[in-house]
Amino acid sequence: MSYTDIAGAGAPQQPNPTDQFEAHRKQMRREKLAMNLLFGALFIVTLAISIHVSRFYPDRLAAGIPRIFEYFGTIMPHLEWQVLFEGRNEAGRATPGSLAFWFADLELYLRLIIETIFMALTATMLGAAAAFLLCFPAAKNLAPNSAIFWISRRFMELCRGVPEILYALILVFAVGIGPIAGVIAIAIHTAGALGKLFAEVNENASLRPVEGIKSVGGNWFEQMRYGVVPQVLPNFTSYTLLRFEINVRASSIVGFVGAGGIGSELNRVISLYSDDRVVAVLILIVLTVTLIDLLSEQLRFYFIGKENLK
Amino acid sequence: MLKLDRLTKSFKNRNAVNAISLDIPEGQMVGIIGRSGAGKSTLLRMLNRLAEPTGGSIIIDGRDITALKGRDLLAWRATCAMVFQQFNLVGRLDVITNVMTGRLYHHNFLASMLQLFTDEDRARAIRALDRLGMAHTALQQADTLSGGQMQRVAIARALVQEPRFLLADEPIASLDPLNAKIVMDALRTINQDDGITVICNLHTLDTARAYCDRIIGLADGNLVFDGAPEALTEAKAREIYGAESAEAFSEGLTSTTLDFPIPAAAMAAAQPEYAMGLAR
Repeated sequence: MSYTDIAGAGAPQQPNPTDQFEAHRKQMRREKLAMNLLFGALFIVTLAISIHVSRFYPDRLAAGIPRIFEYFGTIMPHLEWQVLFEGRNEAGRATPGSLAFWFADLELYLRLIIETIFMALTATMLGAAAAFLLCFPAAKNLAPNSAIFWISRRFMELCRGVPEILYALILVFAVGIGPIAGVIAIAIHTAGALGKLFAEVNENASLRPVEGIKSVGGNWFEQMRYGVVPQVLPNFTSYTLLRFEINVRASSIVGFVGAGGIGSELNRVISLYSDDRVVAVLILIVLTVTLIDLLSEQLRFYFIGKENLK
Repeated sequence: MLKLDRLTKSFKNRNAVNAISLDIPEGQMVGIIGRSGAGKSTLLRMLNRLAEPTGGSIIIDGRDITALKGRDLLAWRATCAMVFQQFNLVGRLDVITNVMTGRLYHHNFLASMLQLFTDEDRARAIRALDRLGMAHTALQQADTLSGGQMQRVAIARALVQEPRFLLADEPIASLDPLNAKIVMDALRTINQDDGITVICNLHTLDTARAYCDRIIGLADGNLVFDGAPEALTEAKAREIYGAESAEAFSEGLTSTTLDFPIPAAAMAAAQPEYAMGLAR
């Protein structure tokens, strides 16, 4: 008995569903193949153009690589095993070849690294606070009207569309050399970037609690405070910690334009000496960033883990 | 007296609610029945303006509810509480805070943003929870409760609003028979003891018959029946429910008719009848 028989003798004759499905499937596959070929061609053309524009040719690469190693040679420390752990002598001088000689300015570096971390911390807190205020009007499902939605979206794009270093450059002229310029620059970028992530979290929040608060006569702020915030807060915390890691890296860079932190020292040793001090600073930066990453990862796991237990 | 005058909600090509006029005296318990998509929910949600009417008016104390704006609208919602099919509690807040949100309209901006509630708010919330036999869960997070418990918390939230009207949108459609009975009994008690007008969307006929003073039947957005439960004939009910008659008449999952006696232990655990002085 075929399937059409089940429909009853009186039913109009239908085409065989298997054939119908196969025909539809073949058509979908044809369309998909055409799409894939088109995207493949587009990708190759784009790649060719970008190689041409950036002059990423094998001969240039071959000429450039030895120079990279040459530079690394000049900034490597010359350590001697016999005197490696030798301290400073009575005159307060360190022996060449010892760690004390290599890291002669360690105290300054550490002070600047601590400054860098606190710059990142302050900028993250300021930026996250701004992002928190912006993310509710910037969520499509929560915005009170489309004008406010549009304005807050564009404002956040403006904040994150410009790299921190450019904001820092401008702010150094505006508020002077020092960490405050860096903090404000990073905070602006953080507000834009975190605000977008927060808004996306909001757009995934359930609207039932919001409706519940609306039905008791709560205004828009109360709907956000009670209906949305409890749902999204764990995600916000996790994203903010992630942003803190990113900001530690950012705040070690903004010093290049005079906006405070370890970056200014890195800039100074590169442009003035280009000797083993460059590697000394780089090692400290890498260590700091790794340490902060590990710590904040633990913290984020703690928050997420706490969530899963509930 | 709540007066609906040719209240209409139209979408692009059809009217979800079609020029319905009704007078609802205060203190009544009204059941609105009809099949899915008949416009029950839309009608109810227009009463507290969660849905915007496209025509007609709702008059109470000589004021047109459909014209309210800003703080006046919030004030109306505060006096016209609502209970939802999916409870609409804030799952990640504890039960008592959920109940206290019923007082938000009376809070100033700073207090509500900082989640500051007064001792009086707390006492009021605990009393409301106690009436529904839920006081022991006050400090539990709301999403750890069962469906029936959540609906009782939602009713407690409505109670602390001290409303004149209580709208219930399919309050028992997601509940098992025992919990459905507990929730309907609670709504009936609120109606009788507190004199709050209850307007309740119900899917099943027997629930409406058992609990309501008055039944309103909707079909395709039109008012097709308005009268006492006794006046609702089988033929009329079939007209209201159409193809869904079998489901609506059967004593299914959402029905409150229990064909077995509720065990005493279950009643004691559920408690609200005792707490609300209904135990017999």
